[in-house]
Amino acid sequence: MIARTPEEFREAGLDVRINTRAAGADLRQRTVSLSDGTTLPYDFLVLATGSIPRLPDIPGIEREGVFTLKNYTDALRIKAYLQNRPCRKAAIVGAGFIAMEMAESFQSRGLETTVVYRGSLPARRWDREFGKLLLQELNRQSVTFLAEQEPVAIEEGVNNRLRLITNQEELDVDLVLFSLGVRPNVQLAADMGVKLGNSGAIKVNFSQATDSEGVYAAGDCSEVFHRICKRYTNMPLGDLANKQGRVVGRNIGGDAASFPGVVGAQSFKLFNLEVAATGIDEQEATSCGYHPVSTVIWGKAIPGMMPAAKQVGIKLVADSTTGKLLGAQALGEMGAVSRINVLSCALWGGMDLDDLSHLDLAYAPPFSSAWDVIHIAAQNLRKKL
Amino acid sequence: MAKNMVIIGGGAGGASAGAAAKRGDQSLRVTMIEQSPYVSTAA
Repeated sequence: MIARTPEEFREAGLDVRINTRAAGADLRQRTVSLSDGTTLPYDFLVLATGSIPRLPDIPGIEREGVFTLKNYTDALRIKAYLQNRPCRKAAIVGAGFIAMEMAESFQSRGLETTVVYRGSLPARRWDREFGKLLLQELNRQSVTFLAEQEPVAIEEGVNNRLRLITNQEELDVDLVLFSLGVRPNVQLAADMGVKLGNSGAIKVNFSQATDSEGVYAAGDCSEVFHRICKRYTNMPLGDLANKQGRVVGRNIGGDAASFPGVVGAQSFKLFNLEVAATGIDEQEATSCGYHPVSTVIWGKAIPGMMPAAKQVGIKLVADSTTGKLLGAQALGEMGAVSRINVLSCALWGGMDLDDLSHLDLAYAPPFSSAWDVIHIAAQNLRKKL
Repeated sequence: MAKNMVIIGGGAGGASAGAAAKRGDQSLRVTMIEQSPYVSTAA
């Protein structure tokens, strides 16, 4: 999706230089040197250098038909490849949310799709109980899931264009997509001497300012404050980049703003399933110094008497010392994302299980039950405190 | 004198920063550098 074209930015009075790279920058001179040989002076510098897809160091990774999907250019390249050649089979390496979205996308285009993953179940942020249902959904949609396998090499294909060799088998495919996450692109920042945080991304404060005067950072290359862990982390998501960028712009433009951090809300769709999560799981909670307890419950997203009623599963994690909510996960054919949004607000405001047990949620039979699954889960978990 | 703002990267973060800064201060001279042919994209 393109929100604004270079022409639209130019009409708004911004000088946009596409197909141009920053070759280097000098903090003392306050200049940036560009790949076209020019040098620009700055009073304010914004590092929005994004992230770089992770790729394994295996033979054949550079072959035609091997892709990553990070930006618009990548999407166009994949689309062109599929349009210009007869493709029947696709392999996706990795099983995070982009891998899941692409499994649906490839399969829906008529490609026989195989997901290769080193773990045992898709989407490791979610509990095994939910992971099993994601696997079931993949199988139901005829996507093959190969667990505990890692790519070893990519060779020229015989029956198909490529042969993906894993530590256990050989797959004939026409396209391989690597979806193994990203790392912050901080080369320029590091070369300039801009300070990085513990996560490896650029260290920023609540104004999105770096430790170097006049230099700001936003998006995948920078850190964000995690409001539940109470520490800075790197969370490369486009919606956050957008918000951080706006805070940078307001501070430079004289309308001071601060970025209040994140609770880690996230969602994706896999065929008929809504999948969402927010906050942290038990393992992260323990590493952040909490004493987590959790519960998973299933209920109807809307009252069972409604013909459209579907099951939704909710997991809550809370701190046994304070009773405060620490995180949540949800999965179902309806109502998962809306509940995670409610629970993200609860996390943002620091609610405990008592607050959640009687939270005033909008009730009407077409939309919810009088006792929503959120209430029931909170009351259930409260008993474990 | 008008101040210079240079943005390296025209993705969601960079493009939002440029638009918001210019809204706040019309006199800013904003230059946005992007290595690809596209700006203001969201994945």
